[in-house]
Amino acid sequence: MGARVTADSVSKSYGGGGGGGDESRAAGVDALAGISLTLEPGSFTALLGPSGCGKSTLLNLLGALDRPTGGRILVDGRDLATLGEDERDAYRRKTAATIFQFFNLLPTMNALENVALPLLLDGAAPAEADARAASLLAEVGLHGKERAYPYELSGGQMQRVAVARALANRPTLLLADEPTGNLDSKTGTQVLDLVSGLVQERGITVVMATHSVEASARASRVVRLLDGQLLP
Amino acid sequence: MTGLRPGFRSLLGPLVLRPAAKDRLRFLLTISGIAVGVATIAAIRLANASVLSSFSDTVDFVAGKAGVTILADGPGIPEETLQRLAWVRRVGATLAPAITETAAAGAADGEVVEVLGIDPLADTAAREYSFAEEKKEEKIFLEGEEGEGHARAANLSSIFERDSVLVTSVFAKRNSLRPGSPLHLVANGIERTFRVAGVLHPVGAARAASGSILFMDLAAAQEAFGKVGRLDRIDVVLPPGLSEDDRARFEEEIRASLPPGTTAGRPERRTETVDRLVRAFRVNLSALGLIALLVGMYFVYNTLSISVLRRRTDIGTVRALGASKRSVFTVFLAEGLALGVFGSAAGVGLGVALAKGALLLVGGTATELYIPSAHPSLHLDPLVLLFAFALGVATSVLSALAPALEAARVDPAATMRHGSVEAVRRRRTRPLALTGVVLLALAFALALPGPVRGLPLFGFLSVFLIVSGVSLLAPAAVTFAAARLDGPALRLFGVEARLARANLTGSLSRTSVAVAALTMALAMMVSVAVMVGSFRTTVAIWVSQTLASDLFLSAASGKSGASFGRIPDEAIAVVRDVDGVDEVDPFLAFGATRDGVPFTIGSGLFAFIAKHGNLPLVDGRDTRKVFTEALGKDEAMISEPYAEKFRVKTGDFVELPTDKGPARVRVAGIYTDYSNDRGTVTLDRAHFQRLWPLTGAVTVAVKLKDGVSPEEGARRVSAALQGRYALRVRTNATLRRLVLRIFDRTFAVTYALEAVALAVAVLGVLNTLTALVLERRREIGLLRVLGASAARVKRAVQYEAAAIGGLGVVMGVLSGGAMSLVLVHVINRQSFGWTIAMHAPWGFLAAALGLVLLATLAAASRPAGLAASTDVAAALKEE
Repeated sequence: MGARVTADSVSKSYGGGGGGGDESRAAGVDALAGISLTLEPGSFTALLGPSGCGKSTLLNLLGALDRPTGGRILVDGRDLATLGEDERDAYRRKTAATIFQFFNLLPTMNALENVALPLLLDGAAPAEADARAASLLAEVGLHGKERAYPYELSGGQMQRVAVARALANRPTLLLADEPTGNLDSKTGTQVLDLVSGLVQERGITVVMATHSVEASARASRVVRLLDGQLLP
Repeated sequence: MTGLRPGFRSLLGPLVLRPAAKDRLRFLLTISGIAVGVATIAAIRLANASVLSSFSDTVDFVAGKAGVTILADGPGIPEETLQRLAWVRRVGATLAPAITETAAAGAADGEVVEVLGIDPLADTAAREYSFAEEKKEEKIFLEGEEGEGHARAANLSSIFERDSVLVTSVFAKRNSLRPGSPLHLVANGIERTFRVAGVLHPVGAARAASGSILFMDLAAAQEAFGKVGRLDRIDVVLPPGLSEDDRARFEEEIRASLPPGTTAGRPERRTETVDRLVRAFRVNLSALGLIALLVGMYFVYNTLSISVLRRRTDIGTVRALGASKRSVFTVFLAEGLALGVFGSAAGVGLGVALAKGALLLVGGTATELYIPSAHPSLHLDPLVLLFAFALGVATSVLSALAPALEAARVDPAATMRHGSVEAVRRRRTRPLALTGVVLLALAFALALPGPVRGLPLFGFLSVFLIVSGVSLLAPAAVTFAAARLDGPALRLFGVEARLARANLTGSLSRTSVAVAALTMALAMMVSVAVMVGSFRTTVAIWVSQTLASDLFLSAASGKSGASFGRIPDEAIAVVRDVDGVDEVDPFLAFGATRDGVPFTIGSGLFAFIAKHGNLPLVDGRDTRKVFTEALGKDEAMISEPYAEKFRVKTGDFVELPTDKGPARVRVAGIYTDYSNDRGTVTLDRAHFQRLWPLTGAVTVAVKLKDGVSPEEGARRVSAALQGRYALRVRTNATLRRLVLRIFDRTFAVTYALEAVALAVAVLGVLNTLTALVLERRREIGLLRVLGASAARVKRAVQYEAAAIGGLGVVMGVLSGGAMSLVLVHVINRQSFGWTIAMHAPWGFLAAALGLVLLATLAAASRPAGLAASTDVAAALKEE
């Protein structure tokens, strides 16, 4: 069952110093300006917009990597702002998984170890983690590549490892930040097929930031962003 | 070159200067690494040069205008030699005979001073004197004015009476003396009072021994110091205008008229003798400095190689913009050069400061062995400083070569990913390890040959190869150890262990260099600690075996630790008659040379040793039996350093210089002796006195009767000597303590050097870890995204540090153990001729290694904290 996500008048501004007040806000950059949004469990939402429109900022807030300067984000009714550091770490481990444009695999670990990492971080026994990682890799079509290091894989293969890693701890929310941005269109399509197939099977809520209309077409819902605001 | 310059200049900013400015701490650490090595080498060389220059100054000032100096190989030149040389006066040369003696001024523990007994009539031809009278200054000898010179000489001699001395103005000031003041001098255990007849300006001979020199009449000196009928030196002033050939011929003719046991040569040769004495010491310390410099080299390599890796994209970009390979190479080489220049400059400054400590060490050794009155002051020889500086710069440029070449090889598209760069390096692990094994085998082979011209060159090469071989094994060791962090460790320490492992092998080129640098510093510490510890234990055991007597007497010898002068026979007789004294064993010795190399000829009562058996023999034979036989056959016993230095075995014959020509004596056995490295030939006292007309003793060992405590014995002996002889009386326990105290003082600087090198190596771990954390910011950010807490990220860095530290300790102990074997059995033995039994100071080692491990972990806390505080969102944005 996927997560229900509610963003309520969420804003985020950068810079402007720590003084607070209207002046400082005016001096800073508003990356998000009062966004309200509800994502139903199991939905696949595309955030569409050009570079700098606030897509990644929103994903960072949803992933509890950053804190909003205004408004609140509820995930399954829990306000992310109320979470302590440990709870945020746990939230990222169990609830919200992320895949990136540049894959962000650990170059010092092989494919299996990359996928097993979140499991181990969550306290799984090593043997159990390895077994689950191997089966996930097989699921994303990388059977036989378990020992391969990232530099030995193609872009598409790396993104598959990243997908497997994202699914390792059975998250209810998947945040995808331009997942096809660094892939050719054919590979990009394959990865998107994989992602939509897997998440539909599992009923995971997906938020994908993209500037590609083509990619956004795969989503059940497209939300347009421009200059930190939702377009109607 | 012209095409390269603008490119070079435009690359310097983006590729070197700006990144360096951003990363100041790491660059400071690197510079300090080089500085330590350079400082060590500069300090040792400076100290050595200062000692030698102070000594050669003294030699020059005393020799004055002499072109040839006649010295005795043995205990003195017979006075008749002057008659044999009378002919030289007829060809216009002048003979200036002299007595040299060392005394304590004021009291038995006063300032140590050289005494020169001179013939006032002849001496002005050789040495210059200038009086500092209250009102008028009178120059006694004026060059080229023979008549006036003689007239003034008469003046000089009129000052000389039996109890008169001339003092230098420096000495007079220090001891508040004026013309007419009484001056007490203690020499050969007897205190005498002299009268200051005049004060000399610090000109000519008065500058010798930094002004700690007195002049008195030759005959008075002979009488006062028990040298009637003998001279210590004759300086020959050659007639002016001699060609080099004439001079050589003249020298040859002088040599032909000398009695046996006497040599003639240029005055400088004595400086060479001292140089030879301190050479082994200097070379050993310099080797230590070289190892420190090697650690610095690793620093430069590591810093630059990290720089190249981090700036791969930038390098690719500038290459794509048209920068040539050559200019990229030059830029990184220039970075190495700059690091070398800054590090070496800091090192030279630090070296000057350290040199003061080293001077005490080297200077102490030289003065104790040779010139107790010398006060070597630090002489900042620019050549020495330049040498150390150049060495530092050269080594950093050398270590910059490999990273600079790698930078030049970055292709313009910069298509190679970080991981694949490391993968290429990982593939080198096996060939590197194989080369390391080959080097270690070579190191073993090189430990076997003997010394080269008295220096353990192959031994040093062997140590160098151990260090290099082990360094090349570092990548393999890191890979091996990292693999252990998975599996059982993974269950025990959690996923952080796997992260640490991944980082260790993922950045193998950096982590293994950090391990190698730590290993090297630790190996140096362990080997020196084991060597010094073994040496100390061996000496302590030897001292407890040989110091079998209850009391030890030596002539009072002023402030200096070294003893000089002789105890007169009468004083020995007094001691023998003290109630409670059972036996006395007088040890009498003098310095001699064999082929220009100094050694000691000594004598003791063989019957005493035969009775007490207190001198262990190298071959383990029964001391009592060997000494009894040697006594019956008039044979000699030699010390181990003598046997090593001159390659003499039991059954060989040694030639000893006497007035009647060389005496051939058979060697009955070799005894262990750690008291000096000059080497000693020891004869029975009666045999000795038949060969040389010497009396008294340098030291006297006293056995007390049963029931008399050493303290009580010492009190009685001192009481009996009171007022008649100024002797130093030490009990067995005091002397043992003194021996070990001198020992510890000698090695104190060694420990200081080690501590510094070690601190630098730990800083090296900090340096590497900080660099790795900065480089892995994105990966760390990612870990946080995956839900790793800041604490876990921190722990992973700490595990990594622990692995680097632990590996460094294990490899350091192993290679340090191997190096200590070479130090003890090869280098020490070939340098000094001592056999040392291995005794590892386990307690010290455990404490030091534990401390290093802790320090490494402490050093890791900063990079670990840095990792924990990484701004996740910002780190992920970087690409």
